Amino acid sequence: MLTALIIDDEAPSREELRALLALEADIEVLGECANAIEGLAAIHRLRPQVVFLDIQMPRLSGLEMASLIDPAAMPHIVFVTAFDEHALKAFEEHATDYLLKPIEPQRLAKTLNWLRSGVRQASTLPALSSMEPLRQIPCISRSKIYLLSLAEVEYVHTDLAGVQVVSAERNGVTELTLKTLQERTPLLRCHRQYLVNTDQIAEIELLDNGAAEILTRSGKRLPVSRRYLREMKDRLLIS
Amino acid sequence: MFAQINHIALVGALLQQMCVYLVVAYLLSKTPLFAPLMQVTVRLPGRLVCYLVFSGFCIMGTYLGFQVDDAIANTRAIGAVLGGMMGGPLVGLAVGLTGGLHRYSLGGFSATACAVSTVTEGLIGGVLHLYMLRRGKAYLLLDPAIAFGITLVAELCQMTIILLLAKPAEQAAHLVAQIALPMVLTNSLGAALFMRLILDRKETLEKYSIAFSAKALRIAERSVGVLVNGFNAHNCAQVAGIIREETGVGAVAITDREKVLGFGGVGADHHLPGMAISSAHTLRAISHNEVVYADGAALPYGCSVTKDCKLGSCLVIPLRGAENQVIGTIKLYEPKTKFFSSLNRTLGEGIARLLSSQLLSGRIEEQQRLLAQAEIKLLQAQINPHFLFNALNTLAAVIRRNPESARQLVQYLSTFFRKSLKRTSNDATLQDEIEHVDAYLHIELARFADRLQVSFDVPDDLLELRLPAFSLQPIVENAIKHGISQLLEPGTIVISARRSHEVLTITVQDSAGLYQPQPESDGLGLNLVNRRIKLRYGEAYGVTVSCERERFTRVAIALPLENEALPC
Repeated sequence: MLTALIIDDEAPSREELRALLALEADIEVLGECANAIEGLAAIHRLRPQVVFLDIQMPRLSGLEMASLIDPAAMPHIVFVTAFDEHALKAFEEHATDYLLKPIEPQRLAKTLNWLRSGVRQASTLPALSSMEPLRQIPCISRSKIYLLSLAEVEYVHTDLAGVQVVSAERNGVTELTLKTLQERTPLLRCHRQYLVNTDQIAEIELLDNGAAEILTRSGKRLPVSRRYLREMKDRLLIS
Repeated sequence: MFAQINHIALVGALLQQMCVYLVVAYLLSKTPLFAPLMQVTVRLPGRLVCYLVFSGFCIMGTYLGFQVDDAIANTRAIGAVLGGMMGGPLVGLAVGLTGGLHRYSLGGFSATACAVSTVTEGLIGGVLHLYMLRRGKAYLLLDPAIAFGITLVAELCQMTIILLLAKPAEQAAHLVAQIALPMVLTNSLGAALFMRLILDRKETLEKYSIAFSAKALRIAERSVGVLVNGFNAHNCAQVAGIIREETGVGAVAITDREKVLGFGGVGADHHLPGMAISSAHTLRAISHNEVVYADGAALPYGCSVTKDCKLGSCLVIPLRGAENQVIGTIKLYEPKTKFFSSLNRTLGEGIARLLSSQLLSGRIEEQQRLLAQAEIKLLQAQINPHFLFNALNTLAAVIRRNPESARQLVQYLSTFFRKSLKRTSNDATLQDEIEHVDAYLHIELARFADRLQVSFDVPDDLLELRLPAFSLQPIVENAIKHGISQLLEPGTIVISARRSHEVLTITVQDSAGLYQPQPESDGLGLNLVNRRIKLRYGEAYGVTVSCERERFTRVAIALPLENEALPC
């Protein structure tokens, strides 16, 4: 049994693919998502084995999204596109699986056979997707999905609910891991559970035990552990 | 009694001397050396020339003078005073010193007094210069009456100085009694006449340049826009006629590189448009890219068509197009009975420049017209592959769910393609454009399902108005591509049209507010539409975009209403 997730912003597209997949007895579609931000959350929550991922989607493209998936939850990705010359060329070069819309049933069958036979996708996703630094962090708060501009972010930390993105104005939960954020943004690690935006630091208060505490511009406090204090001082050119 | 006769003779002699003086000044006024003297000068090179010339006059005045009582009656003062007036105190001082030292070197009992007085005279001129300049009345310095007055004052000073300084005193008194009146009179008169000479020269030059600019301006005014419409026989004949009327030359011809395009004036019976160029001068002007002037004397001119031609001299100036390439010539002729005026010679080159730039702008306009045509083809061909494949994909899904709506969708798709491909003319009615967009939007509505809402607000009475074809669809496509399709939540597109005064404004507004100005090459559709409208109707019309981030993007297309009657 293969579990699958469909991520596409066009309802007819999702409908069509779901109908085609429904013809296969051993495919279980776990869900559908209408954008990449929801999609990211759904991948981390549902852990599908395969994701059919549309490339052209609002704000965050399928390619960008793929590069943001937590490697631990990385599913097999099949890109789906109507027309995208550049992406197709890249797919060919990296032997990445893709489908063209409208989807040909025979072509889909081929892809599904590869998946069933367990041929794993080469780990070429990072090469495919632009590894440019992120400028926005996709967030979900209550029922709203949005992109929080990195300049606004004061800090990011993990708690039981997930990865919290904190800005002066609003807080949200992101699907991105601290590790991904650390790699893809200029946010600086100051604690095992915290990344801080150095532009938003108002003060660093050194504590007696060798650790420290950061006061952000909007007056929020976050800890700096001894382990990361040294590194942080170097980055901020404090000796 | 004896002294009295001497007086009159001295006045006569000094006046003679002054005439020689003025003749020299007149001759000098024909040389370029005189140019800086024609205005009150404050710049260094002008002052230097001023010093040299007036020092020369000073020394000349001394040499031309007469021995009177071991002294010299002279017109030296003119140089010193005028030097100071035209060049300022420093020049006046320098001229005075030069003239004074020179006089001193000649000796005599009044040598010292004369030297001192010459310097004083130069300074008096200089002080006047300074005074007038400070009061902002520099033009008064060129007034002959002022020159007369100041020289009079200067000469009276000189006489006083001689009386004070020259020894023995009785001899000085005698000298002054003899020379005072003649010298004061002739020097003042001389200075005034000299100034008059300068003024005349200046006025002549000004008249010449006024006549020149007036002619050039009239030719430019009358010929503007003619050659822009094409470098052909009809337009060239028209321009040749205008130039002949305005310059009054015998004949005017315009040629391209091979043949005569237009000819007007004397000899028009045998210089016919369409004839191949046969004149060696013209061929030379074309091949060497230079002005050829055959005055009929130094460089002989003979009509290359017939010996009976009345034309006797000719000026050939190349017309230059892009990259300074010769694309033809303009030729001015005078008959054998007339001289070629220098005014017309200079004017000829100006006319050639004028025509060249008109030709160039004509070419640019032509190119822009061609470009606009090519761009429509591009818009037509620019059926976005994304749109096509997404539409087909949507269709595939809808067929499965609802064959009846799929059938409708196929109808819309074919309407859209038919309208895109079958536009033969450059013009369309607003109704055509709305139908085109409507078909397009129906497909997008199916594709985006509940994420898109569309509304039209176009009054029926505007539907028959004409506008350039493909003006609306690219804008709406942009609103989808860069607007609605980038929204995480549902969005709306509103298309409305309004007329106010003589302007038709069509507005496409989306609720995304994600517009970002694109470089020229990127936002192809929008920029093409804008450029095409501006090219056709002028800068007052075209596409304007206003955007409030994340709230709306509003694209307004402004068109003139009077194009209803315009042919396609």
